[in-house]
Amino acid sequence: MNPCPARNPKLAWREIDGEAVIISPDDSHVHELNETASLIWKRADGKHNVEEIAAAVSEEYEVPVIEAEADVRELISMLEQKGLLSIREPGEVVAGA
Amino acid sequence: MGTNLNSHECVRPLHISIGQIPLSLFIPGEKLHDRALTRYSGFEETRAEGLPIFFRKGSQTDPSSDPSRNFSTDLSSDSFSYVLDDALVRLDSSCAEFHGVRHEYALDSLLRILLTMVLLPRRGFLLHAATVVRDGRAYVFAGRSGAGKSTVASLSPAGTVLTDEISLLRFTDGGWHAYGTPFWGEFRAAGLNEHYPIAGIFALAQASEDRIEPLAPKEILRALLPCVLFFTSNPEANRALLHMLLGIAQQIPCHRLHFRRNEEFWKVVAP
Repeated sequence: MNPCPARNPKLAWREIDGEAVIISPDDSHVHELNETASLIWKRADGKHNVEEIAAAVSEEYEVPVIEAEADVRELISMLEQKGLLSIREPGEVVAGA
Repeated sequence: MGTNLNSHECVRPLHISIGQIPLSLFIPGEKLHDRALTRYSGFEETRAEGLPIFFRKGSQTDPSSDPSRNFSTDLSSDSFSYVLDDALVRLDSSCAEFHGVRHEYALDSLLRILLTMVLLPRRGFLLHAATVVRDGRAYVFAGRSGAGKSTVASLSPAGTVLTDEISLLRFTDGGWHAYGTPFWGEFRAAGLNEHYPIAGIFALAQASEDRIEPLAPKEILRALLPCVLFFTSNPEANRALLHMLLGIAQQIPCHRLHFRRNEEFWKVVAP
């Protein structure tokens, strides 16, 4: 099984006009995602793995799966570095989630 | 919270109301009581059923807090605490405690911190903003220090400035209202204990011309969030704040006000 990206449960976020706005409570920093990144963000629920998210992106934007997967991995890596999400093993429960 | 309220010194409470939030301050010691009375006289309240705020002498750090981050809160258990220098504020569902308040400035600071948490579930928040009343409606000018809040206030007719420093915005009586607060700004005076429906919110930007630029919801968040007084990293509290700000963004016209330092800006704000 592939690991699943999961949003940091401590974050406050809302979708505005199809785009996610995320607040990091610790520093009140506001992060804004574009439409494509928001689609990935919404599916980063700890239940969908990278391949499944990439397939959704591929279908939504009519791009090759391999291209979508590269984009998904790049975004997830960036969000992980910022502490906005983590990579979770399937079935893993995160405290506070 | 494990507090034994019977141990508190018996004092005459000072009842005040800020943003229709009644508070009863049990201040020990005449000196601080008198200074608080002077400072908050415009906000004195005759009703006696306000949230009780008990004062404890000496500083006391909260063992449950992380001193390096100066906060500890757990909304799920209805408790909150915050350490500010040598003072501490604690809030639970039935009362608040102020520890180590040695002068009215500390009292003022703790009161602001407390209010942010008391207001949150009551659809209200404190904003670094000057508010001016015109034709019975409130114009809220938001900005951090140096943005021009006091300039806007000083360029407005006497008696129309609700506050030049910290505005209280709250959804009451079916709409968003701006309330004056007793917190001092450059005017070195308390605001007015009045409230008015909000006509608009303007994020201040000093410029060489006067014009307003409508803000989209995301831009409103970006403009207002740094101006909101907020002292907790509790996820639920942050979600509540985000929800509230998006609500106000959808219901109240919000603009960026590019303005020169003269009263001409009113021509674009309220033409």
